[in-house]
This record gives sequence, structure tokens and C-alpha cells, in this order.
Amino acid sequence: MISRRTGNALRLALLIALPALAAGEVELSATADASEVALDGTLTLRITVSYASKADTGELQIPTFADFDVVSRSQSEQVTFTLSNSAPSFRRTVITSLALTPRRAGELTVEAVKLEFHGQKLQTDPIKVRVVPAGQALRRRTQGADRLAEDRMADGLDPFADVHPGQRDLILRAAVDNERPFVGQQVTYSLYLLARTNVSSIEKLQIPRLDGFWSEDVEAPQQLVPEQRILDGVPYTAYLLRRRALFPLRPGKAAIEPAEVQVLTGFGMLFSRESSRRSSQALQLEVHPLPPGKPAGFDLGNVGQWTLSASADPSSVAVGQPITFRLVATGHGNVRDLRLPRLPVLSGVRAYDATVSDKETIERGQINGTRTVEQLLVPERTGAVEIPALAMDIFDPEQKQYRTVRTDPIALHVGPGTVGQPAAEPISQNLLVKGGIRPIRLHLGSVQRAIPPWAQPWFWPALGLPPFGLALVLGLARLRRMLHVDPGRRRMELARSAAARRLRRARALLQRGESVAFYAEIVRAVTGYLADKQGIAAAGLTRDELVSALMARGQPEEPVRRLVRVLDDCDRARFAPGSGDSPAREAMLGRADQVLGELDRRSR
Amino acid sequence: MTLLLAALLAAAEPAGAQLFADANAAYLSGDVSRAIAAYEALVSEGVASTELETNLGAAYLRQGKRGLAVVHFERALFLEPGDDDAGADLAEVRRGNVDRLEGDAEEGGAETMARLLAPLPGTGAAAILAVLWPAAWILLGLRLLRGSPRWAALAAAGCFGGALLSALLTFGAAAGRGMAMRRAVVVAQAVPAREGPAEKSLSRFEIHEGTTVRVDDEEAGFRRIKLANGLTGWVPAGSVELVVPPGWAGRPLLTGSAREVQR
Repeated sequence: MISRRTGNALRLALLIALPALAAGEVELSATADASEVALDGTLTLRITVSYASKADTGELQIPTFADFDVVSRSQSEQVTFTLSNSAPSFRRTVITSLALTPRRAGELTVEAVKLEFHGQKLQTDPIKVRVVPAGQALRRRTQGADRLAEDRMADGLDPFADVHPGQRDLILRAAVDNERPFVGQQVTYSLYLLARTNVSSIEKLQIPRLDGFWSEDVEAPQQLVPEQRILDGVPYTAYLLRRRALFPLRPGKAAIEPAEVQVLTGFGMLFSRESSRRSSQALQLEVHPLPPGKPAGFDLGNVGQWTLSASADPSSVAVGQPITFRLVATGHGNVRDLRLPRLPVLSGVRAYDATVSDKETIERGQINGTRTVEQLLVPERTGAVEIPALAMDIFDPEQKQYRTVRTDPIALHVGPGTVGQPAAEPISQNLLVKGGIRPIRLHLGSVQRAIPPWAQPWFWPALGLPPFGLALVLGLARLRRMLHVDPGRRRMELARSAAARRLRRARALLQRGESVAFYAEIVRAVTGYLADKQGIAAAGLTRDELVSALMARGQPEEPVRRLVRVLDDCDRARFAPGSGDSPAREAMLGRADQVLGELDRRSR
Repeated sequence: MTLLLAALLAAAEPAGAQLFADANAAYLSGDVSRAIAAYEALVSEGVASTELETNLGAAYLRQGKRGLAVVHFERALFLEPGDDDAGADLAEVRRGNVDRLEGDAEEGGAETMARLLAPLPGTGAAAILAVLWPAAWILLGLRLLRGSPRWAALAAAGCFGGALLSALLTFGAAAGRGMAMRRAVVVAQAVPAREGPAEKSLSRFEIHEGTTVRVDDEEAGFRRIKLANGLTGWVPAGSVELVVPPGWAGRPLLTGSAREVQR
């Protein structure tokens, strides 16, 4: 039983040890700064040993050079700390520089450098150097020099090539090793501080936002390691502050904003210390899309230099026993975007869900990755089973071309299960994974090329017809009701005005002196009114019947009596000509008008 | 008698059935180019068929022409929005698309909306609407003018309800079809989307074959396209192909430009 504290300590130790185990213990390389040197010149051999931990170093064995003399030797050391897969990782780099002078002209060889570390023996390749007679022009900066720069900048570009410091003491310089990468290709972003004064420490470092890139730290030095540089004839000390690997996510222009640093200059406690702030220049990248000619089904994330391998363990099993199938992609590039081919359905083999694990390491500024897909296979019948070759299309940005990497087919032998040994699972299952393009169809159907009804120009207006029609019918009915007039009612409404008209006519007759016609007209006015308004035919009624009829219609007795008197007086005057003078006739006219007015008011 | 029966059977087969069978045979034997030529001949003859478009899409996919494959799967879905094979094949091809859209869909997910609305039975709903709507008004009129019995009022209400439901379905189908009419697919392998309809205009982003876009405008050999997340740009007209089949909605039967981009 492990206590919790012990367990935590073990976990911590494992966490620290894991990167060292994963990244490889040690790397050794040797480069020369030229492939050609004059007999009176000097060749610089740079030996770089990179350890995956900061604990101890190995024993470097410098050869006894047969054709060169060692004129000087220097050594520098650098420890970097990175976080890879969220795990801390230290890397200790020891650089040994040897200045060599050739002993003779001709094709010479710089012998291999050896290293022994924890029982592991490493050695570099010998380096060929052409030594020309003294005073001849040299072809410098060739392969060896490029390799030297590659160590410094990961891709052979001198980050200070276009730096002209002028009078400046402190310069923050940002650089990328490739300004025209492809989508998904690694670009190494480096940030250097160039100083002509003493730099005590870095107080604050502000790395710009790296939008449009997936990025990861390559180097994040914890201490300043000086490197001497001559810029425009002025000696500067260069310090690497940060190095990040960037993977562009999309094509087009990509800008990297300036970085900022707060630097403390001066010497310790004795001399005045000063804090200075510097910004780097902005960088502009032109990210190229992947070139045309992509293979069918190519995945945009498969950019880099990858190799693919597959294995199955064990390759010979009893039916029902599990086999572990591993598909491993290893190489340079962004492993997180990598899409590996899927294992096809194998007849007679049940495949369980795959597990994917990624591992990242940093080697000479390059992000290397390994993606491992593990899948448990359980054969369900005996015989030979072949796991077919799996292929993955990649785009190699170095060669600028698409390639297909393949695994070899793997032959499995499935034997019968031993007696008494249970199968891992029941064997009567057939795993069917959905997906893939469906088979073609063999019978041709047809679709009517008809314009749908709603797209016809008449469709929506036609829907307006029913409500419009109903509104029209309702409107017409109302209009007809409005125009229809009842004659009796109309006569009733116009009775008073008809009577007034007759009374005016009677007045005209009065003025002409036609008294009989005058009284007759008054009688017609009154009886006409009674017929139209009250619905009483006065001509066929006695006076009493007339009175009764009017009173039955709610007329008060007094005006009814006066009406009867008017009728009686008129009859008397008509049939007794000469009776009544002019004022009496006028009065009759007034009486008739007044009594009709009173009856009409009552009738409303 | 036998001859007459054979003649009747031949007459019952859709036009181009023999050529379709030949194309299928070529496809199954691995001669994909010949299969495509035969399928395309049927298309140029004006044959509109979900099966033809699905098979043509599968054939183009075998040739690695993802853009044209998507066009024909989309076209099959335009002709028959509920077609299961075309939908599954389209989803499969889209999984391998280069372009992955980032950001929220604009316009409330017009693409999703169109896909949902397109399978609605719009034609049937429109026919029901055309019957129920006048019936509802006639019944209402009888009730108002003649004072018809209570059942007439209930029937009118029922007809109005049915007409409203039919109208919603018709609107939905019409909207889905309207969006489908403007849908297009990138058939060029990669094409820069520019700020204006000219080669000299600044390129804002690049789109790749198989991506479905919406065509908003057309000008001087360029089309203004819009992605589902709102990204908009002008691309050469030949680099995108409309989903609406040739011969529909005023499109000419023979369209060659987009195919030339791919070939």
C-alpha cells in the first residue's frame, strides 16, 4: 500500500521524468562554418550536445585531428525550460567551439566527435573540408555554415542579417525563419535582445498574440545566454528570449504584432541600474494555401514530414483472444491536426474503439510528433487474417509536393481456442461501421419539372378572391337595402311638406280670389295629410269616426276637434259662396297650418 | 401479342433508361469516365432524376472531384428533399471538405432552415389551401347572408383552420425552395474570394471545392457569394455551380463553364 504522500511524490517524479524519457536522452551534432577554407585560414567546428535533463552531462571525446591544429577552444551552456503536452521539460545544451587551422591543402576530413552518456555511445559524421592554398578566395557559408545557422535559427536564416543598429544600445529583434510558409507548415518565431550595454535581467516579456496560428514554445530560456555578434562593425551581445513554433491555420496575409520587453541594465549594486522598454518590429507572413493537385480525400491537417507504421501484437492468437493493433505516425509537423487513416472493417474480426495518444518533442527547433492509434482486435474465426496496408496522403512542405505514406500489410494467424480457454467475448457478432458512399442506384426515376403552384403568378392573388367576393356581396346587399324605399313610409315622411305645399297653393288661390278652390285646396291639404300621415281616409268617415280614429292614434282631443272644425268651416264656405271675408280666409289658412303642425309634432 | 407487350413495357420506361443502365454498367466495371459521360448526356437531354444525380455525384467523387460530387448530391436533394441516399452521401463528402467554417451562423442558420423546410409537402399543401380557403369564405358568406345553421359556422371555422395550416406549410416549402434556388457549390479546387468583381480586387479569403455557398448577386463574370457564417466575397462565376438543375427556373440546359474549371 502506497501512502498518499508517497504516491504524490512518485507522480511528481514520474511527471518530471516523463519528458526525459519521451524526448530521447541526448543528441549530438557537429557542424563546421565552411566547407572550404584557405590554408592560412581558420575553420570553426561547433559541437552541440543537447541533454533532455539538466542533471549531468556525458563525456565528450574530441578526436585527435590528423589534418588540423586546434588553436582555441570555448564552451557555452544553456538550459531551457518548455512545457510539452502540459508536462515540464528541461533541455540542457552544451556548445563546444573549436577553432581549427589546416595543416595542408586538399580534401581533408574533420574526424567524428564521440560522446558517452549513461552507457549510450553517440558519434557525429565526419565532415569533409576542402583546403585551398593560402590567399585564395573562399566559398563560405556553405553547407556547414548553414547547419550552424540552422542550430541557431532552425532554418538557416540569420535573424540579424538586416539589422542596422545605428546608435541604439538595446534592440529587440523578432524574426521568423520562413516568411512564406504553407498552411500547416512550421514557422519558427524567435525573439532576440541585442545589447551593447550590460543586461542584468529581463523584468517583463510580452509575447504578441499569435492569431491565425497554432503555437507552442520551443525554447524559453530561464537565464540569459550571451552570444557575441558584430553588427555594422559594432560588437553586440545577443540573447535569445523566446522561440516558438507557429503553424499557420489559414492562407493569406498573417501579421505578428510587435513583442515588448522590459530590460534592467547596469551592474549589480555598485552601478546605476536602469529599466528600459523596447518593442520589436511587427512581422508580416504570407501564408500560401496548399498547392493544387491534392489527392482525393486529402486532409488539410496532414502537412509535414511524416512516416506511417503499423504493428499488431501478437500476430498469432487463438480465436477470441485480443490483438493490439498500433498505427503510428511520426515526423515533423503539427501532430494535433494529423488525421490518420482508419482501419477498415475486417471480416471475421471485431474491432473496438480506437484510442489515440499524441507525443511531442522538440529537436533542433523542430516540433516533432508521434500519434499512436491503438485498437483492440478480437478475431472471431480461425484462419489467416490480413490487416491491409493503410495509406495516408501528406503534403511535404520541404519538397513542396504531396506524398502518400503507407504501412505494410500485416498477416495474422488465428488458431482454434484451447480447450477450457474462454473466448474474450461471444464470437457471433459482426461489427458494422456506418459511413462511406452508398452504392449507385440502378433504376432511373423521373421528377416532373413542374413549377410548384405557389410559384405561379396567379396563386397568391387568387387566394384574395374569396374574401374580396364575399366583401363585394355583402356590400351590394347593404347598398340594395339602402336604396329600397317603402312608398307608404315615404308618403308618411313627406305628408307634412305635401300639406304645406297645398296650403301655399291655397294661398295663391286666395290671392287670385278663387274662394271655392281656396277652401277645396285647404280640405285637400288636411285630408291628404290625414291619409298620408295618419293612414285615415277622411272622405269615408263621419266626423265622429274621424275624431275617434285620430284619438285612437294618440292624438289629443283638442287639436282633433279644431281639425274637425276647420274641415267643417271649409265645407261650409265651399258650399256657401260669398261667405267669409278676406281676413277670415287668411285666418282659415293659419288655423289649418297650425292644427296640422300640432298633429305632426304629436305624430313624431 | 408479345411484341405489343414489349412495346408497352418500353413505353412505360422513363426516357433514357437504356443509357442510364449503360452508365451504371460502366460505373460498376470501373470505367468511371464513360459512366460520367453517359450520365452527363442524360442531364443535357433534360432528364431530371434523383437517381441520376446521386449516381453522377458518386462517379465524380470516385474521380476525386469533390465539388462536382457535392453539386450533384445537392441537386438530388433539390429534386427530392427527403432522399436518404443523397443526404447520406452529401454528409460523407462534406466530412472531407477543406473549408471549416468558424463562427456562428448568420441569418439564424438559413442553411439549416432551408434543409428543414425543403422536404415539406408544399405542393399538396398548396392544393389543400386552394380548396379550403374559398370553401371557408363561401360558408362564412352563407352564414352572414342567409343565416345558415350552426354547422355552417363550424364548418367555416374548420376550413379556416385547415387553410391556415396549409398556408404555413406552403410558406415553409416556398421559403425552403427559394433558399435552395440560390444555393451553389464551389467546384474549383481553390478560389480566392475578392472584395469586388474583378481579378485585381483584394482577396479576403479562399474557399475550396465542395463548400456550399449562397449566391447573392452576379456581375461581370463574377458571383457574390456568402458563406453560412456570413463571410462574403466575389468569385469567378465559373468557380461555383448553382444547385438548381439546368432547365429549371430559367437555367439553360447546357452549362459548361463550371465543368471546365474542374477538368
